[in-house]
Amino acid sequence: MNAFLLHLWVQVRMDARERGTLLTFYAVPLTFFVVMGAVFSSINPTTKETLAASMSIFAVTMGAVLGAPIPLVKMRESGVLRAYRVSGIPSRAVLFIQEVSAFFHLLLVSAIIFATAPLFFGAGLPRDYTGYFTILLIYIFASIALGLLIGVTARSQSMATMLSQAVFLPSLLLSGIMFPASLLPRPLLWLGRIFPATHAMQSFSVLAYHLKANYSGASALGITACIGMLATAIAVWRFEAAGREELG
Amino acid sequence: MAEAAIRVQGLIKRYGPTIAVNGIDLEVRKGEIFGLLGPNGAGKTTTLECLEGIRKADGGRMTVDGCNPQSDRKELRRRLGVQLQSSSLPDSIRADEAMSLVCAWHGLAPRIDLLKGFGMETSLKKQYHALSTGQKRRLHLALALVGDPAVVVLDEPTAGLDVQGRAQLHDAIRALKAKGITILLATHDMAEAETLCDRLAIMIHGNIAAVGSPAQVTAAGHGETRIIVRTMNGSLLPGRDIGNARFTKVSEGYGEWMCSDAAAAVIDLLRKVQAAGDTVEDLRVERPSLEERFLELVDGGEHE
Repeated sequence: MNAFLLHLWVQVRMDARERGTLLTFYAVPLTFFVVMGAVFSSINPTTKETLAASMSIFAVTMGAVLGAPIPLVKMRESGVLRAYRVSGIPSRAVLFIQEVSAFFHLLLVSAIIFATAPLFFGAGLPRDYTGYFTILLIYIFASIALGLLIGVTARSQSMATMLSQAVFLPSLLLSGIMFPASLLPRPLLWLGRIFPATHAMQSFSVLAYHLKANYSGASALGITACIGMLATAIAVWRFEAAGREELG
Repeated sequence: MAEAAIRVQGLIKRYGPTIAVNGIDLEVRKGEIFGLLGPNGAGKTTTLECLEGIRKADGGRMTVDGCNPQSDRKELRRRLGVQLQSSSLPDSIRADEAMSLVCAWHGLAPRIDLLKGFGMETSLKKQYHALSTGQKRRLHLALALVGDPAVVVLDEPTAGLDVQGRAQLHDAIRALKAKGITILLATHDMAEAETLCDRLAIMIHGNIAAVGSPAQVTAAGHGETRIIVRTMNGSLLPGRDIGNARFTKVSEGYGEWMCSDAAAAVIDLLRKVQAAGDTVEDLRVERPSLEERFLELVDGGEHE
């Protein structure tokens, strides 16, 4: 346990020194949050109500889907995983530590957004705080799982970037965090439902803010959790399989 | 005879239809530096990876300090230190953090003494990407020694190092041997193998082509001894065969002969000089080097 905690602490410190991590987990999402809060919410005041939730979804999606996969691919490509393995550091622990440290960063950036959105931009407060944070935790878990899945599946960093964008951009545009999903044409509306961001936004609206939405918030939350669990299972399986392949 | 620290019997490893290691036998004695030489693709790294427990063998038996690397991987990590040919650490990890991390997973307090022992006192807080190639190699070597292993495997540890870095690492390897640690060293550098290794094996096409001390392996070849002589009055020139010595060339006043019996040839040459009333200015006798023996074996292997 000591080794695990020390490894986690070292990982968080390494993250703090990595410009890429700071950009994708903090700088870009918080800048986007400021722009959205200051400009878009004055253009479309209805977005003010759920600003904290929608910007948290943006920050979590960006950090988990764009930020988490690359370090994993880099570790595999550059031989860090092999070096860890021969030094007695279990590969599965490395994967788990990546997940936990990403969780920490995403929780922190979401907390910053939650605390500052009402203060600086007059964003609405959730009616159900427990619901809000339960949805947030489940969404962070699901997004990191997708990020890890991309990280263990992609054969190269460029491939990982492509896969990440293929998840990130539709999540951003089709989930309803930028504008109401009901404005989308029907095929795009259904396409958006592949991504957990759509279900998370739905859950926040219904369960945390008690707003009307297209379908049940509980079902949306259940789907988000299922996507997370499925992605985790496949990511772990892929990771183990890659380890076995490497053993030859 | 010393006990074996590493024993390999009939090791086989295939990659699809390609046989990378073809049933080799190998024994590394406790406390020695054993070199594993061979051209690229000879099977050296595959052999080492099987011994390190990071590659699964298709056949044969192996023990490392009495432990089976294929089945006792946890125990192996305590007994075997490994410096991989191509390994890395995260760019932003500091040297002292890397040491703390590996020590923690071994259940030990950080062994900063190891880093200091390798001359890294001033680089403890440096991030991995800021370390020089030599410092990175020494860091990986220090990490390999965390658990005080009985056996250390070094896969081309000095590749890409400058002369100073290479000398520092050679000193470090000699210091490990002085502590009684068994070292298995894969290298392309013949001079390194000749000066560092007690014994060595040359691998070609997945087989062991020669094994023994550097002197034994060199002597087992068909290479001839080269004798180079320059005299005051040039009495041996323009040059011809003398006794069993075959004249090969003349260059800048030096005559060169090749022979299989160096002692007899030198005597014949000196007699000739004496008879001409001449004086020897320079005389060199060069045995075939390990490199020449290596090339002889590799060329032989290529032609098979």
